[in-house]
Amino acid sequence: MRRLMIVASSALALSACQTVQNSAGTPTTYQDPATLGAVKGVGIESQDIVSMTDQMMRDMLTEPRLANAATAPNVIIDAEYFVNESSSRINRNSITDRLRVSLQRASQGRMNFVGRHYANMVQSERNLKRQGVVDKATTGTAAAQKGGDYRLGGRITSQDARDPRTGMMSRYTQIIFEMADLESGDIVWSGIYEFSKAAADDVIYR
Amino acid sequence: MRKFVMAAAGLAGLSALAGCAQVQEPAPICSMAGIAAQRQLVALPAAAPGEPSPLMEMPLNSVSITDFNVINKLYVRSVGAQRTATGTVKVYSQIINCTDYPLNIEGRTQFYDPGQAPSEPVSGWKRLNLAPRTSNTYSETSIGTKTVQYYMVEVRETR
Repeated sequence: MRRLMIVASSALALSACQTVQNSAGTPTTYQDPATLGAVKGVGIESQDIVSMTDQMMRDMLTEPRLANAATAPNVIIDAEYFVNESSSRINRNSITDRLRVSLQRASQGRMNFVGRHYANMVQSERNLKRQGVVDKATTGTAAAQKGGDYRLGGRITSQDARDPRTGMMSRYTQIIFEMADLESGDIVWSGIYEFSKAAADDVIYR
Repeated sequence: MRKFVMAAAGLAGLSALAGCAQVQEPAPICSMAGIAAQRQLVALPAAAPGEPSPLMEMPLNSVSITDFNVINKLYVRSVGAQRTATGTVKVYSQIINCTDYPLNIEGRTQFYDPGQAPSEPVSGWKRLNLAPRTSNTYSETSIGTKTVQYYMVEVRETR
């Protein structure tokens, strides 16, 4: 009987501890994408994308064949020929999209941008106009979609190293950007962005 | 005789000390007091006559070290700008690591028009690695051409 009383009183005391933790959870916080965030690893992160696209955009504007031609060249900037051979998981479009948008906004007519990634969309609408399904709209017709004078290519590569004793990991990442002449194959501009990071934390990129 | 021995020992000690002085400190040798004395901040006009200026800042066309962590570790040896072939402006600055340790810093540039208004968005941060007691050159180019007249470079420790 005495044991039963002790068990019962202990259970009562424990149940008293089970109260609602009536407080707010950790709020979502906005971070500066141009600076190292709260979660950081050895891969390509937002500050790298912001920094590299800004550097490449500014550097392209110093190349006379791109930014000072008598007739503004037609350029294609997308991820079609921008390959990822590194061990970092990354959506290549996040680099090429940012580069294209920032370059177009900055160039102010010094280059024309061809949306080759929209070629199917444009062709579909052209077909509808020519079949008479829709009218000709307001900006007039073109004989064909624009061809490109230059197109972006590039490659992401990396070299990993891990210390099995400490778990410390380092990764050297190299990202190259090249603009190729679409008639001759000449590379008229190139840029490189590289970094090496070391960390012990296990960060997963998605 | 004893005095003679002591004098000889003293001379030997002095010569030993002189030998120590032969060990030279590698250049560059930064005089932080001199560097601080060279820094001349400019004042924004006060809101009303007789009131203090609300802001003291580095003058345009200079490098502003914005970080307590590195302000007494770096020396800005030179800063300048030139036009590129396409008319944009290239800013360059040679920065010296005054310490015996490697430093990772980053810089960015804001370009201004002739009216001293920002002529374009501030550039992204660009990293610069400085080995002990070495220099490296930061550079950045503008987006605009004729609209660019002034610039301001900001430097901090890499984050």
